[in-house]
Amino acid sequence: MSKILIAEDEVLMLKALEFKLKKEGYEVEVASDGRQAMEKVKSNTYDLVLTDIMMPFVGGMEILSYIKNDAIKKHTPVLLISAVGLEHVVLEGFSLGADDFIYKPFNLNELSVRIKRYIKQNVFH
Amino acid sequence: MSIFNTLFNYIGQIYTDRLPYFPTNIRVSLLIILFCVITAIELYLYMMVRRAVRSVRSKRMKYWDDYISVLLANMIVFDETDHPHEVVAHFYPKLKKIPLRSKVVNSILVEKILTYHKNFTGKTAEVLSLMYRKLSLDKKAKRKIKNRNWETKIEGIREANEMDLMEMAHLIVEYTDDENALLRMEAQAAYIKLSQSDPFHFLDRAQERILDWHQVVLFEIITKHKKLTIPSFSKWLYSSNDTVVMLCLKLVDHFMQFDAAQEVIKLLKHQNPKIVRKAVEIIGKLELEDAESFMFEIYFNHSEEIKLEILNALGKIASGNYSEFLSSRIYSADVKIKKEALYAIKIDPDHGEEKLRTIYLQTGQENQALIKHVLDDRIR
Repeated sequence: MSKILIAEDEVLMLKALEFKLKKEGYEVEVASDGRQAMEKVKSNTYDLVLTDIMMPFVGGMEILSYIKNDAIKKHTPVLLISAVGLEHVVLEGFSLGADDFIYKPFNLNELSVRIKRYIKQNVFH
Repeated sequence: MSIFNTLFNYIGQIYTDRLPYFPTNIRVSLLIILFCVITAIELYLYMMVRRAVRSVRSKRMKYWDDYISVLLANMIVFDETDHPHEVVAHFYPKLKKIPLRSKVVNSILVEKILTYHKNFTGKTAEVLSLMYRKLSLDKKAKRKIKNRNWETKIEGIREANEMDLMEMAHLIVEYTDDENALLRMEAQAAYIKLSQSDPFHFLDRAQERILDWHQVVLFEIITKHKKLTIPSFSKWLYSSNDTVVMLCLKLVDHFMQFDAAQEVIKLLKHQNPKIVRKAVEIIGKLELEDAESFMFEIYFNHSEEIKLEILNALGKIASGNYSEFLSSRIYSADVKIKKEALYAIKIDPDHGEEKLRTIYLQTGQENQALIKHVLDDRIR
């Protein structure tokens, strides 16, 4: 069973994403702020990380940067969730190694398909 | 126990048997003390009861908050093969059990539906909209809009805006020119999104100011709303409300509405310098050659800011009709004017730099330094 970490500070969104991905058959861990997410990322290995960019304490970009600079974890696909599609934020995300950007509002089923695709690709690493 | 009994008996005696025999000032003091003691006890009791009620209420709210969150999350995570109406039919009986008569519970549910609706698109948003209407929350939103309290009105308008309650547009338009700036702004933003027939009708009736930062908000909404049919904003350039004119000028500028050229040129004679400046800026961007003579006409009657804008616009138009005028500005006492005129001359791709070099040979040291500066492509 593939293991996914969801980092999102909006509790309601976190719950919906958690329910959706659990229903899809993934093992899901959640973090409601950046610090929690960073601790989990440091002590566990995930098949995919879905993180909001704007979070208290530690932002999504820092989590992304940590994962992509870690020799073992760097192949973990990281999907960033953002409410604003500002060009410099997108460019920064991709330059740090983000695999995809999800803009709010988004389609939950589409997200699920994307996650499936990234996890499938990651199996080869 | 005997000490307490003795004490109570003593106090009792003071206020019953002995009270009439005390001098007046002592009697008054004793009565004040009695009043204070009773008030303090009542206050403590009141506080305890309130805390108890609040604690019970918050536990109840926490229960409903969790219940609604889980229920809505489950509703959202429907099978993609399910039809939205089936999903709504399945969850409706469960949501119906929620005590929606309670204002707090009602607001918890509405807030969560709005949050999800704001963040999700596609079938999820459709399911939420259907459920929202099925629970008659749209009718409650309508009542909120009609409420006397302006804060409640705003709440209702925001709800209508987020849940796309198009039928509320005719109610909301009333508040687009309200005295209350916050209500007015919320109504204008919602009306643009909700009115299907004439989303800019509120500009026709706007007497109140559209504050600067709200102009930014409206500008964002209008320029980013994909389904909006953009009208010719020239229609409102004659408005008696300067803020409407300003907003429309920004929109004319953004959408490059050449059909508004004549109206924009007429604004050069407007009394408000901010409008004149914006009009000049647009004339420059649209390169309206017809406006050159009008700009020249008003040049000497305006402030430095507008003069600089006119020079810049003349440079962008680059018709050559006013190149002598631009060259003569180098003899102005104002360095900013000199510099702007030189840059305006330089804009002409065919003869600009050549013209500057000619002026260079005919002018003094100070101007020569400026021309060198302007000709240096690394600086602006």
